[in-house]
Amino acid sequence: MSSETPFQINVPDEKLTALRAKLQLATFPDELENAQWKFGSPLADIKRLTERWRNGYDWRQHEKAINEELPMFTRDIDVDGFGALNIHYVHKKSETVDAIPLLFCHGWPGSFFEVIRILPLLTASTAEHPSFHVVALSLPGFGFSEAPHKQGFGINQYAKVAHKLMVALGYNEYVTQGGDWGGIITRKMASTYGGRHHKAWHTNFPIPEPPSWKSPLSFLSFLLTPWSIEEKAGIERTKWFRTKGQGYSAQQSTQPQTLGYSLADSPVGLLAWIYEKLVLWTDNYYWSDDEVLTWISLYWFSRAGPAASLRIYFELRGDCEDLGRNPTIPMGASFFPKELIVLPAAWLRKSNNVVFESHHKTGGHFAATERPEELVRDVRKMFAKGSPAFGIVPGRTGYDPHVQQ
Amino acid sequence: MSSETPFQINIPDKKLSILRAKLELATFPDELQDIGWKHGVPLSDMKRLADRWRNGYDWRKYEQELNQELPMFTRDINVDGFGALNIHYVHKKSKTVDAIPLLFCHGWPGSFLEIRPVLSLLTASSPEHPSFHVVALSLPGFGFSEGAHKPGFGLDQYAEVTHKLMIALGYNEYVTQGGDWGFLITRRMAAKYGGKHCKAWHTNFPMADPPTWKSPLSFLSYLLTPFSAEEKAGLERTAWYRNKSSGYFVEQSTFPQTLAYGFTDSPVALLGWFYEKLVIWTDDYKWTDDEALTWISIYWFSRAGPGAAHRIYSEVSGDFYDLGRTSYPTIPMGASYFPQELLLLPSAWLRRLNNVVIESHHKSGGHFAAYERPKELVDDVRKMFAKGGPAFAIVPGRSGYA
Repeated sequence: MSSETPFQINVPDEKLTALRAKLQLATFPDELENAQWKFGSPLADIKRLTERWRNGYDWRQHEKAINEELPMFTRDIDVDGFGALNIHYVHKKSETVDAIPLLFCHGWPGSFFEVIRILPLLTASTAEHPSFHVVALSLPGFGFSEAPHKQGFGINQYAKVAHKLMVALGYNEYVTQGGDWGGIITRKMASTYGGRHHKAWHTNFPIPEPPSWKSPLSFLSFLLTPWSIEEKAGIERTKWFRTKGQGYSAQQSTQPQTLGYSLADSPVGLLAWIYEKLVLWTDNYYWSDDEVLTWISLYWFSRAGPAASLRIYFELRGDCEDLGRNPTIPMGASFFPKELIVLPAAWLRKSNNVVFESHHKTGGHFAATERPEELVRDVRKMFAKGSPAFGIVPGRTGYDPHVQQ
Repeated sequence: MSSETPFQINIPDKKLSILRAKLELATFPDELQDIGWKHGVPLSDMKRLADRWRNGYDWRKYEQELNQELPMFTRDINVDGFGALNIHYVHKKSKTVDAIPLLFCHGWPGSFLEIRPVLSLLTASSPEHPSFHVVALSLPGFGFSEGAHKPGFGLDQYAEVTHKLMIALGYNEYVTQGGDWGFLITRRMAAKYGGKHCKAWHTNFPMADPPTWKSPLSFLSYLLTPFSAEEKAGLERTAWYRNKSSGYFVEQSTFPQTLAYGFTDSPVALLGWFYEKLVIWTDDYKWTDDEALTWISIYWFSRAGPGAAHRIYSEVSGDFYDLGRTSYPTIPMGASYFPQELLLLPSAWLRRLNNVVIESHHKSGGHFAAYERPKELVDDVRKMFAKGGPAFAIVPGRSGYA
């Protein structure tokens, strides 16, 4: 059982050579006239990105930058029934001694890498706003974390790994920030460990339940309240996602291994599969080719391989259909208009202890990448002096009592 | 505009060496312990098949067999708004001069290959049963047919191609047999060209709409009639398909281009996606490795490329749930029910909305009926058009008998 070991990404040369060999042989489909984004990732984009990846994109340069910017470690976390899994994580402490311990939890097709822009902001020490000690793990099966080797690794297991990691790092009480699977996993943490360990949770992926006839007054209010323009747009976006945007999850939640063969053998296949989400799920975010290729490379070079990352959809499908009772600990929600599911905030307030919410005019699913400053501003506001969640972690207010104004 | 040209499959050597080069570099994921088929194709099957494909599988041998066994041709068919598409097809005439012209229409992930086990049975001459002149095309974008180059190629266009092909071959009046997309396309043919040209249609993929409250008596009957054991099993199979096995359908109907990249770049990707269907859609059919590899090679070496065929899902998906609801065919219909088909609904629902003149319920067999149960399928088709059968001599002057 290994305790904390410093970690640097160091992809073996053979893997780089093997990737290049495949990219040399890349073959492409045709495309219907004027297809643009109607049927998926456009051919011109995929060709250009493939060519860049084959020749021009310098993985070693990006690997080095990640190693320099993100202090990374691995350690074994034991999970009942699954043995010890070696978990990879970023851990950066603020200079503010009493900073609030915060776990940042990614989703799919995200990764620990999403913490890179918000890390310096969250850990920054100042009297103006609270500071955080930040932990950003690679979920089991993602990034450089080991994947479970048998079936049944469900939401309880993911929540347990994340929780145990915080406790192992000495953070017996902590808060969380998460989106996508990170939102769902931190919600489960809040239900399971909320109060005693998990003190508050913030998400940029709020999923309210619609009112039902079981709560007649809410339902009446629901029927009678006209939607705001923002809410109407959110409902349209949600409809788009539900009717047109769920092919990937329908496949990943039913036959992940079948898809996995494609993602493991073809870098072009992996590129197209993930790139589509990077563009369709963001709000006109400008993706440089190298940023895209770094995201994709993290999947291609991941410890467990890209196929393993899909299994979360299969294993958590049942959990997603019934998320269980709502957490009671304080919740913060940031609404971004190009998130995938954008439902009226009133629905969220009805069944969660919402102490903070913000409604942004721009931004999408990958908030930490697209709107790092806004996201951090939201999290800071949630825990700032004078706000309902101030001091929620005893002895760790996020402010340094000795820092002068 | 090319008229009929004899066709032989002749994949260029270069394509064979590219395939081999890619298979040499094949990389595989790991697999969860004891997972079997739960998450998709098992790793050991994939490795074995990829290895065979790379070294051992002899495409040229099977290519030659196909060329010798199947009389194949190509010709241009003009499609309104899409120009001329060069269509590949099998065409075999019976020795019985007045045989019934029959169009066989495949689906996905099928192909013209599916005609092989039934071709000589259908064309066989005998006083005991009717004979058929058989046409089995590759749908546009499949096999060796050209694919459409712009969006909008829907059910009407597929039906236009198949209908015009029959006319071009001199079959002004004909019957059809189809499953999977072949069902949807032949149903559109029956609705659009039925009566005048399309005289009757048979399917092994009978899809029907459930009764709704809009037809109160049917609905009442539906609510009150207990399902038979066969029907219950069929509904469970349908529920399994809808809940556990439709991921491919949703992706192919929404983002076919995204999928196309993996299929075109990686034979392993194509192998996994397609082999899964060959196994879980059939009734314990014992695929030999070479048989599966030939089936999948047709996609890999297809004229339009392996990324083109499944565009049919997104092109037709708008149409899919509106499946000719406004235009149910009235011509005689035959239906064969196989228990491992994907969608198995009570046959009463089919009879309610279609002119079902014959149906059969089999105790075994799955989605690829022509492949799995050729004799049973042909028997069903023969019975429909036999002397004394419900559709005997439906094509004037072509009774199928000498």
